[in-house]
Amino acid sequence: MGSSVSHAAAPPPPPSPLPPAVGLAVALPSKAEEKSEKKVDYLNLPCPVPFEEIQREALMSLKPELFEGLRFDFTKGLNQKFSLSHSVYMGSTEVPSPSSGTIKVPTAHYEFGANFLDPKLMLIGRVLTDGRLNARVKCDLTDNLTLKINAQLTNEPHFSQGMFNFDYKGKDFRAQYQMGNNAFYGANYIQSVTPHLSLGSEVFWLGHQRKSGIGFAARYNTDKMVATAQVASTGIVALCYVQKVSEKVSLASDFMYNHMTRDVTSSFGYDYILRQCRLRGKLDSSGCVAAFLEERLNMGVNFILSAEIDHRKKDYKFGFGMTVGE
Amino acid sequence: MGSSVSHAAASPPSIPPPPPHAVGLAGVLPPKSEEKSEKKVDWLNLPCPVPFEEIQREALMSLKPELFEGLRFDFTKGLNQKFSLSHSVFMGSMEVPSQSSDTIKVPTAHYEFGANFLDPKLMLVGRVLTDGRLNARVKCDLSDNLTLKINAQLTNEPHYSQGMFNFDYKGKDYRSQFQIGNNAFYGANYIQSVSPHLSLGSEVFWLGHQRKSGVGFAARYDTDKMVATGQVASTGIVALSYVQKVSEKVSLASDFMYNLMTRDVTSSFGYDYILRQCRLRGKIDSAGCVAAYLEERLNMGVNFILSAEINHPKKDYKFGFGMTVGE
Repeated sequence: MGSSVSHAAAPPPPPSPLPPAVGLAVALPSKAEEKSEKKVDYLNLPCPVPFEEIQREALMSLKPELFEGLRFDFTKGLNQKFSLSHSVYMGSTEVPSPSSGTIKVPTAHYEFGANFLDPKLMLIGRVLTDGRLNARVKCDLTDNLTLKINAQLTNEPHFSQGMFNFDYKGKDFRAQYQMGNNAFYGANYIQSVTPHLSLGSEVFWLGHQRKSGIGFAARYNTDKMVATAQVASTGIVALCYVQKVSEKVSLASDFMYNHMTRDVTSSFGYDYILRQCRLRGKLDSSGCVAAFLEERLNMGVNFILSAEIDHRKKDYKFGFGMTVGE
Repeated sequence: MGSSVSHAAASPPSIPPPPPHAVGLAGVLPPKSEEKSEKKVDWLNLPCPVPFEEIQREALMSLKPELFEGLRFDFTKGLNQKFSLSHSVFMGSMEVPSQSSDTIKVPTAHYEFGANFLDPKLMLVGRVLTDGRLNARVKCDLSDNLTLKINAQLTNEPHYSQGMFNFDYKGKDYRSQFQIGNNAFYGANYIQSVSPHLSLGSEVFWLGHQRKSGVGFAARYDTDKMVATGQVASTGIVALSYVQKVSEKVSLASDFMYNLMTRDVTSSFGYDYILRQCRLRGKIDSAGCVAAYLEERLNMGVNFILSAEINHPKKDYKFGFGMTVGE
């Protein structure tokens, strides 16, 4: 800093002539530089993340898709926009048992999926051998308005669900309106109040059970950390904190308190994103330890290892798998 | 083979040398005198056969890997040239017998601690598990030809412990064994080489408490490239196996077992690829069972294991992975 100040002092005579800087005045940054820090432009705040993705970083680090058995996924792109996917799963699944022990039964299913991805339109469909069908549609009606449809159909009656979402993206706010079957109506709104802080709230109403609820959320994020908090009238308080320790390592922790059932869960996890692999590990307050490793063997070929040990229930879930294709 | 025969023909002086300036076909065909230089079978110097219980050794190694479900971690630590400790952890689902025809699995875990002492003349192996079982094996060379083996499994449950004493005598071209076990079990077997490739053997056993006795016969024919064995027993079991070594890295094995009493037939076919960094064994069964077992060497002393077994008729799936650290 000192050398640049003295070089600037030599050639052009400054408008207000200053004597040559001596002593401590050379070491300290000149007062003029402090005013060049960016002033917070409250009219140009960034757009916040969608309300349902407030805890996105914590969920990605702390909740990998753990499984038990074998998983094989194959994605084949037929086109720039269209791709098919085949997914096979074989392993043990837990069934509810009368006794307190854990009982597992071997199950297997095959899932066929089709994806159409366009900048304005996204269609995803999945059908499983046990008769379930998942469909997701995301359509940009205008630059700011997006329609999302999410449907899960099953063989069993009264278990199917469908949900329509209308998302409006404003300059520094987002609003969403939801309509679902079983007379579910919901709305949420999130607004940036500073470059780092965004606040939001949501309301929902369940028609059939005449239940309604309201919730508030706050998210503070910088380059290195993300902290979020959520409270809801259903009695749930959820806090989470993610710290990006370096380019490759990030740590996350999560706290959930259910006021109605007096249930507290806290978890702590790490996420190593290395060149050839991604390793996520997590430790829970209910005595559950889990780890999930994805290793890139080759271009498009990933090898997955999943492990979960529940010490309290003495339940062990280990699985491995392979993912082929983009 | 051709080159080794012609080299053998060149050295001993008793064989007349091939005619000089061989012309036409005579230059290409090996001279007739070389046929007499094939080794005559020395009936007094036959090789010692494999022990009777290891007759099907190659087929068992290829076709019956230790499949498991869940996680397995083995750690072997050598304290000495001769002494080593081993720690083994297993966590996963084990099948429990259930009334219905469905398969029910329950998550279990155990830890096994073991100690091994290996000497040229004495071998002691002990294992103790967290569910209270103890395995002990002793192998002691009493003299150059006589070996004593002791095998014991002790459990917490009464009347389930077993112990067995074996006395093995190794002759010039034969082996004989005498077995004494608890529950008044007595057995003896004898195997003899009858040609450089063929060995025949037989066994008898007697169970004191149930007054049952049995006789069995076995034959084994092996060359550099293949091993074929056959076994019949008076308990009504016929077992045949065949292993073919296709190349240095690949061998194929097949197995056939027929139980006359229960009219049960099982046949399996498997492959064994022994590559530089890994060993892959796969097998398919006539009972609709497909299995594979992969051991990959990640580093010096560190092995990664993948085990998979799918039983299609019963719709049972067993998948596991593990790691083995240490020699």
